Amino acid sequence: MESADEAADCKQRVHLRPGSLRDAAPATLHLLPCEVLVSRPAPVERFFTPAVRHGADGLQVSFRGRGLRGEEVAVPPGFSGFVMVTEEMGEGLIGKLNFSGDAEDKTEKMQEPLERDFDRFIGATGSFSHFTLWGLETVPGPDAKVHKALGWPSLAAAIHAQVPED
Amino acid sequence: MDLRELEKDNTGRCRLSSPVPAVCLKEPCVLGVDEAGRGPVLGPMVYAVCYCPLSRLADLEALKVADSKTLTENERERLFAKMEEEGDSVGWALDILSPNLISTSMLGRVKYNLNSLSHDTAAGLIRHALDQGVKVTQVFVDTVGMPETYQARLQQRFPGMEVTVRAKADSLFPVVSAASIFAKVARDQAVKNWQFVESLQDLDSDYGSGYPNDPKTKAWLRKHVDPVFGFPQFVRFSWSTAQAILEKEAEDVTWEDSAEEDPEGPGRITSYFLSQGPQAGRPQAPHRYFQERGLEAASSL
Repeated sequence: MESADEAADCKQRVHLRPGSLRDAAPATLHLLPCEVLVSRPAPVERFFTPAVRHGADGLQVSFRGRGLRGEEVAVPPGFSGFVMVTEEMGEGLIGKLNFSGDAEDKTEKMQEPLERDFDRFIGATGSFSHFTLWGLETVPGPDAKVHKALGWPSLAAAIHAQVPED
Repeated sequence: MDLRELEKDNTGRCRLSSPVPAVCLKEPCVLGVDEAGRGPVLGPMVYAVCYCPLSRLADLEALKVADSKTLTENERERLFAKMEEEGDSVGWALDILSPNLISTSMLGRVKYNLNSLSHDTAAGLIRHALDQGVKVTQVFVDTVGMPETYQARLQQRFPGMEVTVRAKADSLFPVVSAASIFAKVARDQAVKNWQFVESLQDLDSDYGSGYPNDPKTKAWLRKHVDPVFGFPQFVRFSWSTAQAILEKEAEDVTWEDSAEEDPEGPGRITSYFLSQGPQAGRPQAPHRYFQERGLEAASSL
């Protein structure tokens, strides 16, 4: 099957840099009800943050001339939020890592040699315990997908928990 | 003109008004409505009403008020000062509609076009004067759109007074000329002292007239475009001039209500007759629980 081959091609081994989690500085996050069709840094501090209005009827701002209403959303209890970034893997880096291991994260044992296009390192660049969720002209409210999605971890824990045998 | 109220928050609308002259509470008054800054791609649109007792209309005419467009800035300032001196018989009120309010109205989920916004703002100001106790008996309005339908709508809303909506009312009726001067003076001052909500570097204050066909205004727009945020809120995003620059120089943005064809559409009709069916090769859709939460399994980064 063609789709199965594709899935195999995409398989990756992900290595987390635990040190980055400890060092991650608190970040301010905004989740907008739109998609900017590119991933790039944006001057949020200059354009967006100062334009946010904290009125009697909640948070308000506009993006690209469209009105947004916002609310603060907390990360579910027992969880921490991290902004994760995948490191670019150059050939040279792979070689170096295979020889010396990862000096910073000694806890991670390198069982197998690293392969380009297969091994990925991710690290945290920021941490958060809450973020601002924005809706187009209306406050997203409890029915928003994001709120519902945040209920999944507790449900997942419940359905994957060991059921005591009688 | 004291616009501190606007400078405190220029992201919405700001209504300012003079004290109501005592005589306007007792005697029948004539009220004029006009606007400034409807066309520009930059800055607020200002609506103004000016009113005075019918018995004092001659005094207003004696000031030689005229359509603000035919006056120089100095002449407008002088007439504005004169009318302020007539504060015991001439009253005014303004509604300053920020460019952000204009953008978000016109680009709303339910489009609120500039004509409707203008009509409602004018009606709101007339209502405001009535609520302050001004004895309005005659209203003159410079038209936006078709004068006949506009007049009928206003007349229906304010049955107790005689409403006249006319094209070029600002050069026909002194009380509308006076309103046009209040509106224009306020608009010019608001633009000149605009407090940008954004913390912009190298802000160039030479934006020309603000009209879309002004080369200086266009150059300013191109200089201040940000690839992600577009423009500062001083710009009316809903203007085609602004949209055209964004299309070329900023990243594309899609919204949940963007009109777009469904890429997962039904596909070719013949695909239903092939052995594999239209779903072949497409990964199985996740359970509804996950779809409703926008959750997907991640198999790669």
